[in-house]
Amino acid sequence: MSLFWIVLGQPGGLEEMATSKKLITREEWEKKLSDVKIRKEDMNKLVMDFLVMEGYVEAAEKFRVESGTEPDIDLATITDRMAAKKAVQCGNVEDAIEKVNDFNPEILDTNPQLFFHLQQQRLIELIRDGKVEEALEFAQEELAPRGEENQSFLEELERTVALLAFEDVSNCPVGDLLDMSQRLKTASEVDAAILASQSHEKDPKLPSLLKMLIWAQSQLDEKAAYPRINNLSTATLEDPRDL
Amino acid sequence: MVNCLEMSGGDLSVDLSTLGLDRRRRDDQEMEDEEEAPTHLNTINSSGGFLVVSTDKLSLQYTNVNLHGHDVGVVQGNCPAPTRRLVYYFEIYVKNAGAKGQIAIGYTNEHFKMRRQPGWEANSYGYHGDDGLLYRGQGKGECFGPTFTSGDTIGGGINYASQEFFFTKNGKLVGTVYKDVKGPLFPTIAVHSQNEEVNVNFGQQPFVFDVEAFATEERLKQQMVIEKIPLPLKVSHWIIRSYLQHYGYQDTLDLFDLASVSALPTAPATHENGFCDQGDSYALSHRKILRQFIRSGDIDSAFNKLREWYPHIVQNETSTICFLLHCQKFIELVQLHCVNRIFNKQNGDMEEAVRYGRVELVKFLEVPSSTSLLEDCIALLAYEEPLKSPVGYLLDKKQREVVADAVNTMVLLTDPALEDPQRRTQSHLEKLLKQLTACCLEKRALSRDQGEAFHLHKVLQKRKGVKP
Repeated sequence: MSLFWIVLGQPGGLEEMATSKKLITREEWEKKLSDVKIRKEDMNKLVMDFLVMEGYVEAAEKFRVESGTEPDIDLATITDRMAAKKAVQCGNVEDAIEKVNDFNPEILDTNPQLFFHLQQQRLIELIRDGKVEEALEFAQEELAPRGEENQSFLEELERTVALLAFEDVSNCPVGDLLDMSQRLKTASEVDAAILASQSHEKDPKLPSLLKMLIWAQSQLDEKAAYPRINNLSTATLEDPRDL
Repeated sequence: MVNCLEMSGGDLSVDLSTLGLDRRRRDDQEMEDEEEAPTHLNTINSSGGFLVVSTDKLSLQYTNVNLHGHDVGVVQGNCPAPTRRLVYYFEIYVKNAGAKGQIAIGYTNEHFKMRRQPGWEANSYGYHGDDGLLYRGQGKGECFGPTFTSGDTIGGGINYASQEFFFTKNGKLVGTVYKDVKGPLFPTIAVHSQNEEVNVNFGQQPFVFDVEAFATEERLKQQMVIEKIPLPLKVSHWIIRSYLQHYGYQDTLDLFDLASVSALPTAPATHENGFCDQGDSYALSHRKILRQFIRSGDIDSAFNKLREWYPHIVQNETSTICFLLHCQKFIELVQLHCVNRIFNKQNGDMEEAVRYGRVELVKFLEVPSSTSLLEDCIALLAYEEPLKSPVGYLLDKKQREVVADAVNTMVLLTDPALEDPQRRTQSHLEKLLKQLTACCLEKRALSRDQGEAFHLHKVLQKRKGVKP
């Protein structure tokens, strides 16, 4: 229904637009910091999470003994995961596929994109080794049929095969496929897929928390001047600039 | 060593409250986030005469026949929407659209005149059923969403992250509108024609709209922004390393370094970015050994080593650190008794624990700061099965870790190169996490208490695919 009142309203909060930033002194801030309680066992969990996710198996095993922190994942599986990842990093893609299948055959069955990327990596390695005949055969027999299922696969396949067209691959437009970064990319896909199969997150929590700290500080910058930590590796509080 | 001997007079101590000792009575920080949320309709401050609120205060009906512009039947929730969260949300079910279907859902503040539709007045917002328009005190409604009538479920929420109101119809998001009002807001429902009847759901029933998924998506949006922030190379690695050093987890540290070197054949990670490798490795092997003794329950050996290496730490018999160690020794004796009881019932008396307590713990009865832990320790004697008692937490291995951490801190404080003792008692990781928590809390405090706080504990409890 149409409204038949004359409303003399003011949007709320106009008076606050002009207020300046709050200044929080070091003393006040340190009081606030001391009120924050961080549990030791939570920090231990964070450390364990990092060791597990980054594949420090022996360190994780030892940390469990030294700190009594239980990992939320079977430590034995880290070794398998790291082995599969490492195989890709070293260019042994067939080996990696076998390791992933040993770990859990469902991973590749249910993840066509990962499987395609592994096969693509295998093709790249063949081209790198100068095995042109073998590479072509592999592309036509193994990769092309998969490309038919998925347009983006086909495009990637074409891009990869283009490597064969250049004499000097280091200067060609698709040369980046031969970079170490391509292996690392595929390797981290393998890593993430294995972790996902264990219903585990794919990234360690600590880096995200550090990013969150940078973000939270910049958010608070808009409202207050307060002692910041500008260097994460020293964790030193620095006095607010406005002081 | 002069420096620390001077301090040993009494200053050299650990603050009991920082040790996380009181595990029995914790979780206070998370409790702080609990606030009152509306549970029913406010029947006192409503436009009585035009509407009737049911006895359970969860439904309302327009009973008047007259239909004048000032005869709106409005009712608010019994308290304002809570703010210390990402999203607040409630729903109404239109049981009967009555003569004209002039039902509205929205938010109003405490000054709202209880004779108007929400949205007609300044500082009020309403999604109206008869025209599907959104009103926000601007004189006329704005194009917003579909109309709603009998059988529809309509929701109204506040997204504190984006500072928006949002409305839903039958489980689907209708739209959002910027919230340019500050201060407490009441969920508000209005009825305005004969026989209009509405049920309200303040969360006592499951919502039709998946508000959890809505909140998760909102968090994800924030997370995507955060994940794009670059970090200095290897900084996480460095923080983990300094944590292991700080707490004297030396064996882990060695394996970590070994694996890092083989993974990164270039220069040692610790010297990149100007990280310095000094400081926290102070007395590392001593701290490791002390931790191992305490973790294995061998308090006597820990005491002996402390007397040998750092006599001033334990020279004051009533210091906090001695208290903690004596308590732990007592706890270990109770533990031993429990174990003995399982294997040999004859040997199952607590005599030794009692004797130890009489000699060593009695001294601390006069020390006010030690009361709570002391009481809990002594209470162990009262139970036939201490492990299952309310103070059973003391027998957990975590208690050993607490004592080991305290001893570790004391040893760190004896470092002659020590400049700022306050900073030395905390690992880098702890400082960073405290800063993160404090920043989030302060930001909320300066945003009229709106939004979620950061709790490390909650972050760690979340598993992929599992709702917290």
